Amino acid sequence: MYDLLFFLALIVLGYGSGTIVEKRHYRSIQRREKAYLPLPAVTIRTVQYPEEDIKSAELVYGSAVISIDYFKRILAGLRNIFGGTVKSYESLIDRARREALLRMKEMAGDAAVIVNVRIETAAIGRRAHKRGVGCLEAIAYGTALTLKE
Amino acid sequence: MKYTPRQSESNVNVTPTSPLREFFVLTAALLGIMVGIYFLLGLTVDLVLPHISMGLENKMATLFVGSLTGKGADSEREQAVKSLITTMRDRCARVPYEFKIHVRTAAPVNAMAMPGGHIIVFTGLLDKVTSENELAFVLAHEMGHYAHRDHLRALGRGLIFMAISASLFGPDSSVSRMLAHALNITELSFSRMQETQADEFALETVNCFYGHAGGATDFFKKIPKAQDPGTFGHYFASHPENRRRISRLEDIIRSKGFKLAERKPLPEGIRRSTHQ
Repeated sequence: MYDLLFFLALIVLGYGSGTIVEKRHYRSIQRREKAYLPLPAVTIRTVQYPEEDIKSAELVYGSAVISIDYFKRILAGLRNIFGGTVKSYESLIDRARREALLRMKEMAGDAAVIVNVRIETAAIGRRAHKRGVGCLEAIAYGTALTLKE
Repeated sequence: MKYTPRQSESNVNVTPTSPLREFFVLTAALLGIMVGIYFLLGLTVDLVLPHISMGLENKMATLFVGSLTGKGADSEREQAVKSLITTMRDRCARVPYEFKIHVRTAAPVNAMAMPGGHIIVFTGLLDKVTSENELAFVLAHEMGHYAHRDHLRALGRGLIFMAISASLFGPDSSVSRMLAHALNITELSFSRMQETQADEFALETVNCFYGHAGGATDFFKKIPKAQDPGTFGHYFASHPENRRRISRLEDIIRSKGFKLAERKPLPEGIRRSTHQ
């Protein structure tokens, strides 16, 4: 019985803190995305700048690790039984990707554009003998081009 | 082509959804399925039960009994308890079991019916009872479980259930644990009805054996006096509350016109503990 109460308490805690943290994170993401709007991060590999205008081309990357909360984990577990879109993981992956992109842009400094951007994800923090995702890491990397004045 | 930076208004990668609603819908669906399986399983157990032969039951028993009976054997008391239950069975109860008594040195005031006619009696019980009638009632109660084959019924359903949930979700997934909790709660209320039936069986048996029902309720009257409810394990937790139980027994005694006479003292072999 106590185990059940403990389990329910964890779910309530997970839901409460997970919702607050996620809302706060999304606000921060949106604010920073707006700030970095002038710096495009694109997947194209060639640019139309003349070569002599380019001051430097550097590797820039940003990575973010986001953990799932207990409530979402249980919800995903239930989803695993019935099948369908695992909606509870969607925001986790979305946040990780956008945060990684933002950090990459931060690293780019005063670059004019980041080209050849790639985003990769990895599940980390998996406990031994336990299935399921612990945390998710997203890493974004690309080539930042800085132009001469 | 000119690049114009803009911030996307909506997020296509995250479905706007209410996670709480999803959670409740899925939990309800899961619980519905589990309840369905539970009742179906109850039916299957009732269907399968008559086909489990004594030989098969004995084979199953070896799986459980070995670990439970090894330590703290007390053969003198075992013999005494065994002769009591065997005489009682031969004279009054038609139960097709050859009982094997295992006395274990442990505090719980308790006895347990295991598959294959193995009855585990804790010394806590033997030290607590004051008359042969009282002990006979507890033993007859366990015999009642054998007569209705409750020990297999409870085991069968619980076992299959845990096996299903463990193979579906893994033995230590949260979902599996959650089910185990739900299972225990329902299993408890399931066994209460069986306890009441076993009580009735025990009363009939004791009345037939001694010619009266004196001492039948002694055991339950003792329980509220003790301080620690934990030591009463099975009798305290899963048996009906004692007051209701006593009054039910007294009702039966009155309605069937059972007599209440002097209790027989506890046989020497049971009273004397070789460990004290």
